[in-house]
Amino acid sequence: MSSTSPVRNRLPYVAPRIAQAALERARLTVVPRRRTRAPRVPFVTFVSVILLGGVIGLLMFNTSMQQASFRETALRKQATDLGAQQEALEMDLQSLNDPAHVAAAAEKLGMVTPSTAAGVLHLGSGEISGDPQPATGADRLPLEQPGPQRPSFLDPPPVKQKVKPATDGVPATVQ
Amino acid sequence: MHVGFLLIAMVLSVFAARLVQLQGIDPQSYAEMAAAEGQVHVTLPATRGEILDRNGHPMAETVDGRMVVADPKVTAKVAPELATILSERLGVDYFETLRRLRVTGEGGRFQYVARQVPASKAEKVVADIQEQFKDDKGRPFSGLQTERDPLRIYPNDTVAANLIGFLGENGKKGKQAATIGLAGLEDSFNTYLSGKDGEARYEVGAGNQIPLGDNTVTPAVDGKNLTLTIDRDLQFYTQRVLQQTVQKSGGESGMALIQDTRTGELLALADYPTYDASDPRSYPEELYKSSALTDVYEPGSVEKVLTVSSLVDAGLAFKEQRFKVPGQLHRQDRPIGDYWDHGTLKLTLAGILAKSSNVGTVLAADQFKPGQLRGYLTGFGLGDRTGVGLGGETRGLLPQGAAWTSQVGDRIAFGQSLSVNAVQMIAAVNTIANGGVRVAPSLVKGEARTDDGTEVGTDVATSRRVISADAAHETMLMMERVVDPEAGVAPRAAVPGYRVAGKTGTAQRVVDGRYDGSLTVSFAGFAPADAPRFTIYVVVHRPRAGSGGGSVAGPAFAQLMSYALRRYGVAPTGAQPNRTPVEW
Repeated sequence: MSSTSPVRNRLPYVAPRIAQAALERARLTVVPRRRTRAPRVPFVTFVSVILLGGVIGLLMFNTSMQQASFRETALRKQATDLGAQQEALEMDLQSLNDPAHVAAAAEKLGMVTPSTAAGVLHLGSGEISGDPQPATGADRLPLEQPGPQRPSFLDPPPVKQKVKPATDGVPATVQ
Repeated sequence: MHVGFLLIAMVLSVFAARLVQLQGIDPQSYAEMAAAEGQVHVTLPATRGEILDRNGHPMAETVDGRMVVADPKVTAKVAPELATILSERLGVDYFETLRRLRVTGEGGRFQYVARQVPASKAEKVVADIQEQFKDDKGRPFSGLQTERDPLRIYPNDTVAANLIGFLGENGKKGKQAATIGLAGLEDSFNTYLSGKDGEARYEVGAGNQIPLGDNTVTPAVDGKNLTLTIDRDLQFYTQRVLQQTVQKSGGESGMALIQDTRTGELLALADYPTYDASDPRSYPEELYKSSALTDVYEPGSVEKVLTVSSLVDAGLAFKEQRFKVPGQLHRQDRPIGDYWDHGTLKLTLAGILAKSSNVGTVLAADQFKPGQLRGYLTGFGLGDRTGVGLGGETRGLLPQGAAWTSQVGDRIAFGQSLSVNAVQMIAAVNTIANGGVRVAPSLVKGEARTDDGTEVGTDVATSRRVISADAAHETMLMMERVVDPEAGVAPRAAVPGYRVAGKTGTAQRVVDGRYDGSLTVSFAGFAPADAPRFTIYVVVHRPRAGSGGGSVAGPAFAQLMSYALRRYGVAPTGAQPNRTPVEW
C-alpha cells in the first residue's frame, strides 16, 4: 500500500475533480480473509487407507514372494530327487538289459542259443529258403567270462584241518 | 581449549594414517578381500557325453552321483555306529571308514567317506543317518553331507570293454585334479566326450544370492555323444563264441572281428581275455587295450588270398592255371614245405588256395615283378594304420627296400615274415568281398575328433580300388573251394544254406624275436559269397599242438556268420557253390 500513497498525494494537483471522484470509487480495499473449514476426517481416512493398503499390500506381496520361493526350493528338491530316482531306475533297467543278463534269464526259462542253421521265411511267397535245423542246447555258450585272477597271496587255498570227533567225556580236538 | 584441539588433531592424524594405509599402500588386496567376502565362485561341471552302440544302447554313460563327506570333529563320537551303517549300505570298507571318521588334526573337518555313489542311494543313506543321530534339540546330525560327484557307469560290464575303456583320476592334486579317460575310446576321445566346465560367480548375503549384485555365469558346454558302429548284442555273442573257442582249443588269447562288407563298419571287435570296464582295477593292466589293434602277429595263409588276388589282377594267373607242386621247394636259405607231407601234386591255382599249399603259392608268386606284390599289399592297407580312432594302434611290419630279399618275398607270399594287426587284415580280406574296393574300416558312426586332432568315423571313411572287380570275383570263387568238404581244408567253416568264401591261416608265432614253435590259427571269410554282407575274421594264438585254422577258427567263423546273417535277416541267395577244379 505504501507504493500508492505518493500517487494519491500528487493527485489533487494534477487531476481534475471528476477524476478524483472516479478514483475515489475505484480505490481497492483489502478483502477480509474467509476462513473455510474443510472436513479433515475423509482426508485422514483416505491417506490412512492408502498407507495401510500399501503396507499390507507390500507385506502380502513379500509373503507371497517368500512362499513362492519356498515352493520353488521344495519343487526344485523334488525335481532333483525324482531325477535321481529316474536315473536309478534307468540304471536298473540297463543292467537288466545287459545281454549277459538277458541270455542268462532266457537260459533259465529253458531257451537255448541257436548255433544251427536258420531258414528264411519269405512273407510274400510263403517259401522257406536255407536249411533250417532245430536248435539244441548242445553248443551252449559260456555266458560269463572268467573273473579276475587274484595273486595267490590274496586267494590262498582253503585250510583243511582234521577234527577228532567228541567221545564220551573227551571234547572234540583239532589235530 | 588448546588441549581439545590437540586431541582432535591426534584423532584425525590416526584416521589419516589409516586412510593412507588402506588406499595408498595396497588398495588392490583390500578391494579383493572385500569382494571375496560376499562372493561365491561355483564350477558348473559339464556332463560327459555317452558312448552308444549303433542302435543307441548306452555302452558308457554319466549319471548323477554323490560323494559322502564327513566332518570327523562331529562324527568321532559315533564313529563305530556310523561305519557299520555306511559299510553295510554303501559297501565301503569298515575299518578305513572308521579311521576316516576319527581323523584329527589336518583334515579333521573334511574326509571323503564314499565317492561316486548313485545320487538317490547316497541321499537316502545320509538322510536316514541325519534323522537317526539327531541331537537333543531335534536338529539333524551335521557330521555327514553329500556333494555332487558325477558317476560313470558301464551297464554292459565286459561287453566291448576292450574298446570303451574307463575313467580315472589324472593323478594331479588340487585344481589340476580331474577325471579323464584312462583306456580305450574314453581315452582317445577324452576331449570330445568331456566338454568344457562352466562357472558362475555371484554375490551372496546371508546365504542368499543378492539379486542385483555382481553376477556372471559362463554355462558349461556338455560333452558330445559318441556313437559306435558296434552292435552290442552281436559284440556280446562274438565275445562269448571267442571265449569258448579259445578255451576249447587251449589257446592263450584270441580276437574276432565282424565287418559290414559294404560300409566297412566294424559290427563287433572282440578280444579275449578282456576285462570288466566297471571294475578295471581287478584285472591286470595289460588287458586295458584292444589286441586287435595294438598287437602284431604274422597272418599266415590268410594272406595267400591277397597274393593270389594280386596275381589275378596283374594278369599273371587264373583260377584253373595248372601247377606242379613238389613236396618241398629248395630256395636260398632253407626249404619251403607244406603243413602236410606230399609228393608232387598237380594243383590248379584254386587248388593251391583250397589246400593252402605254401609251395604252390611261392611258385605262383614267382611271376611277380620286383616290388609288385609289395605295391598290392600296400594297396590292401598292410603296413599302414587303419586309424579307426583307438589309441596305440600298431602299423604292422611290411618289409621294404633292401629288407625285401627274395627269401623274404617268398615267405611273404604265404603270409610269414610280415606282421599285421587284425583290423588291417580284415579290411584287406574285405576288399575282395567288396569287389576289389577297399573301404577303410570304422568304429565310429558319423564323425568325431580324437584327442590328437584326427577326424574319424564313417563320414570320413575313404575307399579305393585295389584290384579289379573281375579279379575279386575270381578270388572269391577260389576261396569258396576252401570250405568245400572234398576240395578244401575247412569244411567246418561252412554255413548250411549259404555260399561261403574264406581262407584258413596257420602261422608260426614270433615270440621275443624268434619262432618259438607255437602257432597262430585263423580263419577269414565272407558270406553270402555271391553277394557278401559280412566279413568275419577269427584269430586264436597258441592253441593246443595239432590245431589248425580250419579246425579251431573255422567253426567259430561259421557260428558267428550264421548268427550275423540271422540277426540281420540276410536270406540265402539260392545259388549253388562253384565247382572250380582243384586238381588236374
